[in-house]
Amino acid sequence: MHLSKREFLAASAVLALAAGLRSANAATAINYWHHFASQSEMAGLAKIIQLFAAANPDISVTQESIPNSEYMAKVSSAVVAGGRPDTGMVIAERFADLTAMGALVDISEHVNTWQGKANLPDNRWTGMSNEGAIYAVPAYAFVDWMYYRKDYFDEAGISAPPKTFDEFLSVCRKLTDPSKNRYAFGMRGGAGGFKYVIDVMEAFGSPLVKDGQAAIDKPAAIEAITFYADLFRKEKVAPPSTPNDSYRQIMEGFRTGQTAMIWHHTGSLIEISAALKPGEQFATAPMPAGPKAHIARVAYAGNGIFKEDNVEAAWKWISFWGETDAAIALLEATGYFPASTAALKDQRITGNPIYAAATQTLEFGRLPNSFVGAAGWSENVVNPTFQAVLTGQLTPEQAVDRMIEGLEAALR
Amino acid sequence: MRRVSMTSNSRRHPFSSLGEISETRYWVYLLLLPSLLLLFLVVAYPTIYGFVISVREMRLTRPGLNGWVGMKHYISMMSDRVFWISLKNTAIWVAAAVMIEMTLGFIAAVALNRNLPGTRLFGVLILLPYFLPNVVAGHMWALLLDPRLGVINDILVRLGFLSSYKAWFADPNTALAATILVEAWHGFPFFALLFLAGLKGIPEDLYKAAAVDGAGSFTKFKLITVPMLKTVITAAVILRVISLVNSPDLLLVLTGGGPGNSTQVLSLYAFQTAYRDFNFGYAGALSVVMFFILMVFATIYIRLSRITKE
Repeated sequence: MHLSKREFLAASAVLALAAGLRSANAATAINYWHHFASQSEMAGLAKIIQLFAAANPDISVTQESIPNSEYMAKVSSAVVAGGRPDTGMVIAERFADLTAMGALVDISEHVNTWQGKANLPDNRWTGMSNEGAIYAVPAYAFVDWMYYRKDYFDEAGISAPPKTFDEFLSVCRKLTDPSKNRYAFGMRGGAGGFKYVIDVMEAFGSPLVKDGQAAIDKPAAIEAITFYADLFRKEKVAPPSTPNDSYRQIMEGFRTGQTAMIWHHTGSLIEISAALKPGEQFATAPMPAGPKAHIARVAYAGNGIFKEDNVEAAWKWISFWGETDAAIALLEATGYFPASTAALKDQRITGNPIYAAATQTLEFGRLPNSFVGAAGWSENVVNPTFQAVLTGQLTPEQAVDRMIEGLEAALR
Repeated sequence: MRRVSMTSNSRRHPFSSLGEISETRYWVYLLLLPSLLLLFLVVAYPTIYGFVISVREMRLTRPGLNGWVGMKHYISMMSDRVFWISLKNTAIWVAAAVMIEMTLGFIAAVALNRNLPGTRLFGVLILLPYFLPNVVAGHMWALLLDPRLGVINDILVRLGFLSSYKAWFADPNTALAATILVEAWHGFPFFALLFLAGLKGIPEDLYKAAAVDGAGSFTKFKLITVPMLKTVITAAVILRVISLVNSPDLLLVLTGGGPGNSTQVLSLYAFQTAYRDFNFGYAGALSVVMFFILMVFATIYIRLSRITKE
């Protein structure tokens, strides 16, 4: 076939136009880093991606799961070396570090013109804002509460879950029977255990940081560490493996019947419900109150934009998580409490008695401590120091001294 | 005439100048250039960068503090109690693991070298632990030694060695020893493999001649096997020590350095400093110290083993 010069140019123009149209219609691809890992979490995420794709056919989302323990390592490497994702998951505990390292894009303008903002009260945004700028859209909340073996309580003639630390100790004594390999409290002494050490310190009246300075009240902190460590050291109401027990171990201990109570958040409800019958074998209750304060964390988690390349598509994706459909899809799959007040009114929450303790906790719960260096201090100082108290290597006094010293160094 | 010669020069084949260089002594450097460039990019640059980071403040969460700090991190290290605990634990962890692995590896290599029936199958079985990634091996052993469900605890209780299940990783008196045993299980096939290759290279005639001279098994081992394996032993020990000093993954899975830093080692401390505190400067300094410790160890060890004189 012979083409004249004119025909060739015309054909080229048509092809170029077609290619242009095709690329104009092609979906904008964005990627999303998160630390969901369990089957239920992945099912919830898949459902959200599916709902988002139906509502936004012009945007395709590629998700990448990073183990929670490695998440900050990967994000910080991406910040230093390049290769940031378009969007990523942001939890309250990590927010200060993420903004300090410049990992997040300011989305205040988008948020302020977004209709969904009305469903998210101010306290949802507090943990996602810094110096007046908003960096992430809250999507769900981890509400701290207590899981307890209702059948063990019934068996021991205990009518209600403990409301204070004194009652907690008294119940612990009644429920522990090492000869049956049964312990009252699945204490988290291994990775992540710092969370509850800090909670107990605050419950005994010791703050951590005030106006950017270390503000641990030494006598209160010593009292708190002594009380909490003595549950293992003196009272022996926690299993012998406590100093190395992290999430997996406390969960197995509770599921297999070794322990009668654990402190965790709403996120493990689905996993526990799969092993034990809600309302019969286990129930939930608000965390017991300390002598000076009633501490339970309500940690809002959300999503932020990590780079500005596809900011409009990225915004659509992260704001979609704050909408009711997405929140309910995640709740159904994982049991994660919605951040949106519209989703909280859903029958699946209001009609389920197991969620009553979480709804109650929302009224008094506090946001997690958020200051630059909090994660490093908690994991690298509080955790090993408290472990050393549990194993008799340090006294509570020495441990508190080291915590203060470490906190001052972290804040410098 | 001048114009003619210029024309002929400009028409010279571009490769002719390369041909001329190939006749000179510079040719060898030109051929080495791609490899040198690659080596610089993947070896020298990251190493130099590591040294540079160690004399800088580089805290991702406090970018305002970043800048040159000279020897500050090294001076801080001298009063850092976790550094000294980590250094001591690293020495124990590496020395104990290498000794156990070498002993087990040697026994396995000698057994496999006998060509008895089933040797091939046992060869594969012995090598299996080494094929497992550290993280998988770590989780597997965490379950085997679990204080609630662990099979090993169950066996030890049934045999009467324990009265109840023991939380091996929760007790500072047993945590490091337990992790060393797990590491030894995981790493001994490395020695077995190298020793077996070395044993295969020893001529059978030497043993026959020694037997004629009346040498017993121990004498043969002392005077033939060990000297002939000296180079392999030295290389294997150095490689394994480097690998152990630099790999925190097994400890990260089993104990996270706890309880109370009782299993903290330098590599894990550097990792946690970098990725939990986001203090890359101090982590860089810790890594440089590890680098020098390994350099000094390798130099002394090679000199003591005298393999370079052979």
